Amino acid sequence: MNDSFRRGAREGFRAFLPLSVGLVPWAMVTGVAMRAAGFSIVEAIGMTLMVFAGTAQIGTLPLIVSGAPLWLIVATALVLNLRFVIFSAAISPAFEGIPLLKRLMSGYLLVDGVFAVGAQRMLASTDKDWRFGFFLAPSLWAWSLWQVFVLIGVLGAELVPQGWSLEFMATIALMTLLVPLAASRPMLVAALAGGVAAVALRGMPLKLGLIAGIMVGIAAGFAAEHWQHGKEAEAP
Amino acid sequence: MISGVWLWVTFVLIALATHIPRGSFIVAGSRARLPSALQRALRYAPAAALSALVLPDVVLDGGELDPLNPKLAAALAVLLMTALRPRNPWLPFIAGMGVLLLLRKGLGW
Repeated sequence: MNDSFRRGAREGFRAFLPLSVGLVPWAMVTGVAMRAAGFSIVEAIGMTLMVFAGTAQIGTLPLIVSGAPLWLIVATALVLNLRFVIFSAAISPAFEGIPLLKRLMSGYLLVDGVFAVGAQRMLASTDKDWRFGFFLAPSLWAWSLWQVFVLIGVLGAELVPQGWSLEFMATIALMTLLVPLAASRPMLVAALAGGVAAVALRGMPLKLGLIAGIMVGIAAGFAAEHWQHGKEAEAP
Repeated sequence: MISGVWLWVTFVLIALATHIPRGSFIVAGSRARLPSALQRALRYAPAAALSALVLPDVVLDGGELDPLNPKLAAALAVLLMTALRPRNPWLPFIAGMGVLLLLRKGLGW
């Protein structure tokens, strides 16, 4: 807990704070959805502590309810989480010099929002304590917010009127992460291509269309970046 | 519906399917490294992944392409609010759910 860790923690927390409020409705939606699926309060809390992932929790619920085979549920969760392999690889140089136990904890804590806000700044810093602080503070904040508001959703599930389309709040939460990312042209190309490809490939089994769509989006963004550089090089 | 002990087994497996991808490269550290071209390409992963999750949800209705559905109208309201008032985290939720509920409940769309 030295000075640069504390400075990193403060800056990381401040960078993530505005975005983190978006977790609140999403967490409540997850809590309500688990109760609506028939989980007991203890089961819902247990799942949230163990999994700690909105997309995987919400995405596997219909399969659990319909009594799908275990391998299909796990495969779906894995596919929904493959993006984290990509995030984990992209952010891993920032964990250079951090002890194993802290890296294990960081893996458990890694969420989309903190990655989106922090990856670029963490990779640009040469101070490992600052980087770890910059990751840990917003990640622990995200974890606490998530657990508290899922619990509120779990306990308050009976109070929400049926048929209010509350599940759409999860989509809104993802959109509020997406829009600020799509600021540069290659990023916008990646987003559009990824989305359109996911729609076009929706017929693939096991939600593999989602992974295929992500791959198409990444390739399109990469290609757009090269094309843009090529044009800049040509300009006088 | 899966229940009892099997539900907890399911949770454990979903947790593993979440935390192994998350921890993969962070835990492997400097022993595993992706090539730099791949590393640069991966910067586009978050935008591509989020869009691949969101777009099917807003343009599809019951698995069929439907460009005129209330979810798409709500998504446009969310987009507008996020672009115009990026500092307010509640507005996209209020605008999106407002439009969706107005169209579904109010107009029965």
